Amino acid sequence: MSEKWVDRLSHLQLAMVALVVLAPVAWMVLSSFKPSSEVTAYPPKLLFSATLDNYRQLFSTTPFARYALNSFLVSAGSTLIGLLLGVPAAFAVSWSRITWPATVTLMARMAPGTLFLLPWYLLFSKLDLIGSAWALILTHAVITMPIVIWVLLPFYDSVPRSIFEAAQVDGCAPLRILMRIALPLVMPGLTVASILAFVYSWNYFQFALVLSNSDSKTLVAAAFNFIGEGATFWGALMAAATLIALPPLLLAFAVQRRLVSGLSIGAVKG
Amino acid sequence: MASISFDRVVKRFGDVTVVPELSLEIPDGEFIVFVGPSGCGKTTLLRMIAGLERIDAGTVRIGDEIVNEVPPARRNIAMVFQDYALYPHMSVRQNLSFGLENQKLPSAEIDRRVAQVAAMLQIEPYLDRRPKALSGGQRQRVAMGRAMVRQPRAFLFDEPLSNLDAKLRVDVRGEIKKLFHELRTTTVFVTHDQVEAMTMADRIVVLQKGVIQQVGTPAEVYNRPANLFVAGFIGTPTMNFIPLKRSGAQWRWGERLLELPQHADASTTGTGAVLGLRPEHWAVTPDAEQAFPMKVEITEPLGSDTFVFGEIEGQRIVARVGADVPVVPGDLLPLRADLERAHLFDTATGETLLRAASSRP
Repeated sequence: MSEKWVDRLSHLQLAMVALVVLAPVAWMVLSSFKPSSEVTAYPPKLLFSATLDNYRQLFSTTPFARYALNSFLVSAGSTLIGLLLGVPAAFAVSWSRITWPATVTLMARMAPGTLFLLPWYLLFSKLDLIGSAWALILTHAVITMPIVIWVLLPFYDSVPRSIFEAAQVDGCAPLRILMRIALPLVMPGLTVASILAFVYSWNYFQFALVLSNSDSKTLVAAAFNFIGEGATFWGALMAAATLIALPPLLLAFAVQRRLVSGLSIGAVKG
Repeated sequence: MASISFDRVVKRFGDVTVVPELSLEIPDGEFIVFVGPSGCGKTTLLRMIAGLERIDAGTVRIGDEIVNEVPPARRNIAMVFQDYALYPHMSVRQNLSFGLENQKLPSAEIDRRVAQVAAMLQIEPYLDRRPKALSGGQRQRVAMGRAMVRQPRAFLFDEPLSNLDAKLRVDVRGEIKKLFHELRTTTVFVTHDQVEAMTMADRIVVLQKGVIQQVGTPAEVYNRPANLFVAGFIGTPTMNFIPLKRSGAQWRWGERLLELPQHADASTTGTGAVLGLRPEHWAVTPDAEQAFPMKVEITEPLGSDTFVFGEIEGQRIVARVGADVPVVPGDLLPLRADLERAHLFDTATGETLLRAASSRP
């Protein structure tokens, strides 16, 4: 009898946590369909006449599609670089059991972004790359590479070493061991790493704010424009936020099963 | 096909010297078994041949080539791991062909070799299965097949039978012996099980703490152990060890004087020694005067023989008697010791002072 109650209580607990987490998101989505004046109304209006005005304003006053493309280019590009560098790096750390390179990467990730901004601004100005997508793609690699390394490390570690040793004895060169043996065995980790890297890069606005110009701005940086000195276009902002949140959400949804199993460290048995 | 040799090889793990200067010659075509308790260095030595452990001093040769700096991929040896280490994401066929693909052999040759080995090991029905769909015994055969298909200079086995159940172990032991003796490729087999060593080896290397205790054929190692350790490690149940005290020119066990064969006295020094007598060198005797009476504690009837555990002169002894001998715990069993077959060991060094006189090489 008490087990059923524990069950119900844990469900209730989950529901409450979900409510707290989802409430702001729900509010954001609802507000995007409210007429601008009603968004900040107090007491908050739950019933309203839905309108697409905010979205129309968004698309007419800003080059939304362009910004979306920029975001996508930067996130995909930096994820790719993160994977290109991080996949072999994590394998090397796991294989050699030398961990300090991974720790250094983590420390770089945890350092405040503002630490890098000024030097980078100067560097990219000199190279005339301010406003180029490359400035953002390269700098976002600071975001994506540590994620790739730190997600993949436990996956590589969980592969029994004897499998790699067997491949060595079987005449396999190290790079081939990575490509033919290690990578196929850490696929769930690779999926998780890619998604996380993409999402983090998509949401990162600091670098985009400083290192891009009106041509190469990303979505999140552009959304800042709506927060003005005097008035803030709340409705449009909510609409922008809703649209910006969509791609990561859809991505995560698409690979949700892989994500959950991948996050609960995959134990690969030989 | 190649010989393997260790020349004053040293291996350290941090501050611990696991192998202090070891030298060993393994001639081409020999099936040699490294045996010893856990931590004796046998697997470390095997991995040094494979190139999976660095060599801190000395040289390892495969054939005429010094392989200290040669990576495992280029040593042309094949290894069977204790946990089989099959590639989980590949089918059995792919597992078998992977090594050959690395060697860039033509695919017709690869297919031919895979088919041949699959037939030899009777794993044809499983060629398209993944390792996780196989039983332990089947995986083990695939692991062996992966080694055989490479036609290497030498085979290395790292305790491949440990994960099999007892009956399967006996069956596979025989299969390995037959298969690999036929191939006549140099084989180094590591095990902690002395029965496996005795049944499979051309020669056995008994190791303790990284030091070779004895190298010899199974018969040599069994009948003429070089020291106490080898005598106690080889043979099951373990040899009986009885501490003796010198009494003039003779030896005393408790109150009893022993008549050891003549040549025993000549080579002995010191006042103490250890007598070694295997369980099968005791016999039930009707002569109550000469007999050592054993206070029987446990009997283990195996069907063909019975092992009797008990006490003689306050010493724990195990003796092998015929299955037809009527004995139960609590009995006083009159036993005669065949002292012609006895071994004598120095108490201090453990070295053999006297080998059983009537043992044949």
